[in-house]
Amino acid sequence: MSTILKIFAFPASILIICLGISTILGGHITPGGGFQGGAIIAAGFIFCAIVYGFDKTPFKFTHRFMATLESIGAIGYITLGLLGIIFSGYFLYNIGVDLYNILPNISDIFNYPDAVHAGIIPYLNILIGLKVLVGLSAIVVTFLEFKGE
Amino acid sequence: MLYVGPSFFGFLIGFILGTRIKEDERVRFPISAYIVIFIAAILMAWQLGPFPYYKDLPLASGFLAAFIGIIAGRIIRG
Repeated sequence: MSTILKIFAFPASILIICLGISTILGGHITPGGGFQGGAIIAAGFIFCAIVYGFDKTPFKFTHRFMATLESIGAIGYITLGLLGIIFSGYFLYNIGVDLYNILPNISDIFNYPDAVHAGIIPYLNILIGLKVLVGLSAIVVTFLEFKGE
Repeated sequence: MLYVGPSFFGFLIGFILGTRIKEDERVRFPISAYIVIFIAAILMAWQLGPFPYYKDLPLASGFLAAFIGIIAGRIIRG
């Protein structure tokens, strides 16, 4: 790739990744959410990987790192769902808000600390964001590592 | 009062991704480049503005926390 792209790509990808994280964090209150934010973060990584090449890219996503993030996303999502079953009887019941008033006093523990008190929705967005970030990045890593037959 | 949620989780996700930045001699950016990116990040956060109903800061606190997290991860574990 050209020198101009190599100077531009890494700083731009950092800002793109920040925008993706901001999109994830505003998923419960603005357009966007976990999937869109994760896709934006993956776009930042893919931008660097294509411009610098997979071997020289400053973002080193190893197999172990991606497997860990994917596992955290999946296990965290299922855990929050199962907590809903345990405390209320409904899978993915919003135990941070408790709209039906059927929980013991645990809402404060799972309530996301922000202005609108969305309960567990922001946590689900964050976990989905991690999963999508890794999923889309893994596809591109697989393509870039392919050396042909 | 600063809302803990977006600031903490923005920093956390940024830190995790910042730890994966490993520059070698072929691709290396000086401190001045990071200062320019920081100024650009502040301008972007200012233009994005806070989320609706957030009254803590006049700029996107999650965006700025994510940038600080990336730089912290790059310095500490990168």
